[in-house]
Amino acid sequence: MVAQSNNKESKNFIQHLANWITVPRFIFAAGLIFFLTSILFPFYWMISSSFKTRAEIGAREPVYIPSALRLDAYKELFDPNNPSFQDFATNIFNSMKIAIPTALIAVILSTFGAYAIARLRFKGKNVLLSSILMIYLFPGVLLIIPLFAMLAQIGDSIGFDVQDNLSILVFTYLAQTLPVALYMLTNYFRTIPAEIEQAGLIDGCSRFDVIWRITLPLAIPALVSVAIFTFMIAWNEFLYALIFLNNNDLFTMPIKINTIYNNPSPRPHVVMAASTIMTIPIVLLFLALERFLAEGLTAGGVKG
Amino acid sequence: MTVPTASRKKFSTRWNSFQAREARLAWILILPTAIIVFSLVLFPAAFSVWISFHDVGLNNLNEVFNAPYVGLENYRKVFDDFAFKFQGMQSWGAAVTSIIYSFVATTLTLLIGLLAALLLNRPFRGRGVTRAVFLFPYVAPIVSVAFVWRWILDPRPSGVLNDVLMRLGVIELPQAYLATRGLALLLVIFFEAWRYFPFAMLMILARLQAIDSTLYEAAKVDGASTWQQFIHVTLPELRYVLGAIFLLRLMWTFNKFDDIFLLTGGGFGTKVLPVLTYEFSFKLFDFGRGAATAMILLVILVVFMAFYIGVVMRNPEED
Repeated sequence: MVAQSNNKESKNFIQHLANWITVPRFIFAAGLIFFLTSILFPFYWMISSSFKTRAEIGAREPVYIPSALRLDAYKELFDPNNPSFQDFATNIFNSMKIAIPTALIAVILSTFGAYAIARLRFKGKNVLLSSILMIYLFPGVLLIIPLFAMLAQIGDSIGFDVQDNLSILVFTYLAQTLPVALYMLTNYFRTIPAEIEQAGLIDGCSRFDVIWRITLPLAIPALVSVAIFTFMIAWNEFLYALIFLNNNDLFTMPIKINTIYNNPSPRPHVVMAASTIMTIPIVLLFLALERFLAEGLTAGGVKG
Repeated sequence: MTVPTASRKKFSTRWNSFQAREARLAWILILPTAIIVFSLVLFPAAFSVWISFHDVGLNNLNEVFNAPYVGLENYRKVFDDFAFKFQGMQSWGAAVTSIIYSFVATTLTLLIGLLAALLLNRPFRGRGVTRAVFLFPYVAPIVSVAFVWRWILDPRPSGVLNDVLMRLGVIELPQAYLATRGLALLLVIFFEAWRYFPFAMLMILARLQAIDSTLYEAAKVDGASTWQQFIHVTLPELRYVLGAIFLLRLMWTFNKFDDIFLLTGGGFGTKVLPVLTYEFSFKLFDFGRGAATAMILLVILVVFMAFYIGVVMRNPEED
């Protein structure tokens, strides 16, 4: 990208740049810089704001570079001795308590289902598959009303609470993630040649042996990517958590951040600190595994 | 398919034939997924139709099935609501706002995605990392990015946009961008394009890289300029993928609740149907009216999709 300025033989840097630059190259570089700044500035602003003091946040003019890495906002989130302690650690755990089981159960169930669809012949397969994929059509707000009414009814007769029940949330997230997981894994299983499994069957392995010893080890990349996507959906989810959770101690991170934001005394640095904590793991994951995860995105890994 | 010889000798009935056992195994494997999806997606979807014809509120939520039937009353209430119906250019109402918002945001997302894909289709050093960075807006949690943008657009003079525009002399006094009718809708649309262009970009990029390079060579031989190559080679090759992304993104944008709820709370001319559904159901606790609003949303969506798939996506050469 950058002209080779260390070549000192005859020309200086400016001359090199002048020779290198052409109209298409200029447009290309300008476009790239425009995209990179508009993408990265909000993330820079989130992280830098999280290290500001209340005075810097409330200043007349924005402070573009914080004077020092001050942990005021993080202390408010995690330090029990802080006057406006938010107990954010509990919210991180709540998010994990929901996202990890969702990811694990979704991977296990969708592996079973995807194997059946990709490998076994049975009646009603296409009808079943297309009705499962119908979830793409239904907006979350449409489903939340009947779900709320239905679960309140069932909860009343069996005796569990619909509100403030993390396992109920796991179930609703499973319903949202399973179709996508099923679709992604089915496509992957279809790329594994059936002959390998047939060889195993001829050698006298049972179906489960074949799945366990041959197919699954070959599908590990797909399983990991499905686990990451389902984890992410549960980690980021807002609407269902907003409606099903009322108790501060059970809030997931998104709901807690929304609560801090809507606090009568605005504290943007605390909101940004909490957002940073929630965002960094996901962003790093994509930076590290981009090649591997991009395919899942185009397969509809994240609906929305 | 091979049939293990031992089992063929033992069982001969149809119940135990290889196909039958395979089918039973398949159903056992898929049953948990099917039960969860049917009971938590397809049944609720059907139940939602039922609720939209009944008077369901907080008072009778515990005995929903005995809720009184009210016919089209819920739908009438929605159509008469000032938040729903079009009342001239000053107040579009949720239905019109939803349609305009989804179409404009989807088109803009597609254009920016196309631009980004064309940029990344050129080989350059650091392309892999750049592509990963381009995905950030799409994969970051909605709550974080919505609040960062609200903080950038903050109405106080300490908001970044206010500061920059005041320094440039564009505005004299700080503006409340997300609390200005018209501007708020425009900004929400820009936000959608910023957040969702990576999805379009990835799909377009995959298609771009699959275009046969001999097509470009032939175009060059014929003396086509870069722009002519783009119009006559690239765009026709992208036609189907662009059509598919448009449909998917339009559907998802139309159904989207979080973005607008977090950015403006549905105020200042940005109230779309999902936000209205939420307000009827969980602020007024009139679930019947909420369900009716959601049904109207679904009907608009299905009618458009049928039209789009039947008319726009049909290949004229196939007829």
